[in-house]
Amino acid sequence: MTDLAQPAAMERQITAHRRGREFPRFDVMNVIGYLLLLFAALATVMPFLWMVSTSFKGDQEIFRFPPSFVPDGLRWQNYLDAMASPDAGRQLVNSLIYALGSTVSNLVFCSLAGYALARMQFSGRNLIFALVVGLLMVPAQSQIVPVFLIVQKIPFAGGNDWLGNGGTGLLNTYWGMILPTAATPFGIFMMRQFFTRIPMEYEESAKLDGASPFTIFRRILLPLARPSLAVLGVLSFQSAWNDFVWPLILNSHREMATLQIGLQLLQSGPDARWNVVMAMATLITLPVIIVYLLAQRHVIDGAVTSGVKG
Amino acid sequence: MALQNSTSRPVKTVRFHQNWSAYAFLAPALVILFLSLLLPAVATLLMSFTDVSFLKPTSFIGFDNYIKLFNDTRFQQAVGNTIHYTIGVTFPTMLLGLLAAVALNQKVPGRMAFRTIFYLPVLTSLIAAAVVWAYVYEPYAGPLNGVLTRVGLPPQPWLQNPSLAMNALIIMAIWRDFGTAMIIYLAGLQDIPNDLYEAARLDGAKGKDIFLRITVPMLSSVTFYLLIILIVQTFQVFGAIYVMTQGGPLGSTETVVYQMYQTAFGYTEFGYGAAMSTILFLTILVFSIIGTRIMRRKDA
Repeated sequence: MTDLAQPAAMERQITAHRRGREFPRFDVMNVIGYLLLLFAALATVMPFLWMVSTSFKGDQEIFRFPPSFVPDGLRWQNYLDAMASPDAGRQLVNSLIYALGSTVSNLVFCSLAGYALARMQFSGRNLIFALVVGLLMVPAQSQIVPVFLIVQKIPFAGGNDWLGNGGTGLLNTYWGMILPTAATPFGIFMMRQFFTRIPMEYEESAKLDGASPFTIFRRILLPLARPSLAVLGVLSFQSAWNDFVWPLILNSHREMATLQIGLQLLQSGPDARWNVVMAMATLITLPVIIVYLLAQRHVIDGAVTSGVKG
Repeated sequence: MALQNSTSRPVKTVRFHQNWSAYAFLAPALVILFLSLLLPAVATLLMSFTDVSFLKPTSFIGFDNYIKLFNDTRFQQAVGNTIHYTIGVTFPTMLLGLLAAVALNQKVPGRMAFRTIFYLPVLTSLIAAAVVWAYVYEPYAGPLNGVLTRVGLPPQPWLQNPSLAMNALIIMAIWRDFGTAMIIYLAGLQDIPNDLYEAARLDGAKGKDIFLRITVPMLSSVTFYLLIILIVQTFQVFGAIYVMTQGGPLGSTETVVYQMYQTAFGYTEFGYGAAMSTILFLTILVFSIIGTRIMRRKDA
């Protein structure tokens, strides 16, 4: 205790502890802990490694039991087969239209709405904000049936009359895919939180110069919001690109299938071959992982801080 | 009166212009939210009191759907399966996420690589993950049975055995979700002041005590938040089941959302499906409200 009373000794003690944290001492617990960590990492990547390994195997090789982890050779033909499957090109286009359409509309609509809720004075503002927060809690999966019926009954679309009867509405269309995902309560909430944090002085001089609300938004506030827009963009793209349930329910026409639906069709088809299915799975997974590795820090930090800390 | 009118009129016009552009900014987003969330929620509730279907004209049938639902043994099985899945996924996911976060919050060699690896399954699309795991579990050519055979254990029909199938789905879900738990716990760990640890060490506390007495209690609000979002998410499981088991074998993996999908789009009993939706919606709403309360307390 007398030692600790002296500042120098105390400092030494603390730095010793700090150092202990930075370079774990070589004791048994640390070694076991690290081995467990390595084991967990191996278990986590194992399905990916099997996916890639199987994607290079031959048509006979995939039925060998027990399967060997290392393929006999690199059979790139599986990838060509996966891409050559009749609808693959169309599915890629559909996925891109859906994901980009959903991303762009989220960026536009959520930032406009977020800006209005954060920085404009109008009657009913608190009520609308409360509504957005309330809608955050509505579970999307339990709503698929009525959303399907609504999209089918959009007036004047797909041969519908003005009451929404008679035709197929927006079923089997890109509009139908994009519309229900074109703005989300989460996106509006996130953009509103961002715009609230910017000091009001930014737009006051522009207001005195007589700039219109849209000019102020477009020229002054939107450029400041670039980091938040990037996070919202990546999250929107990822959620549409990976979406399965909504395109599955909306689209009965084969030519409207996205890549995710295509993978499922390929796997459940009568002439499914595991090597080609795995090649397709690898092709679908790779772009998302690459984008993530490039944008890692921004996206995770952004997602965590906007989602968890508000 | 005259005086009041003359002062209120200019204010009103300014207000009107302010209002007009704000509403224009909000309109597109609000129309979409109305069509995709608000109207469906109301429509679900209304439909649940009818027998709406493609096959016959609709009529109002009061609580008949709900009465039928509570006596429907298939629905009861689905509820049981959903609870089994939710509990099976939620707790191991949180435990693994916490352990990974605590381990990787220290300066261990290669920690960024570990973080990336644990987060990879989160990035994978649900269908890609389900397809890959369907292969892993494949009874006659799959790697899992291959490994079991190599070490001298009997191979299992993972997705074909009613007592194994749900657990096989649970393991896949844990694999996919614990990276999310880890990231959220890591953010929580960074909020714990370092002084607490240093004070405890100066008092001679050991690693285990520090973990149980400081780390775990300081993370309690994060833990509760995670618990809620995992419950809400696992309650709605659908895609993995659609791809891997179609609710089988013998209905052992048929969950509420899967049954709802079957009822509405397989048998076109939209009214009955809507009643299931409403029950699910109310259950999830309760958990969401609890979760939001906790978030608000944490922010304050």
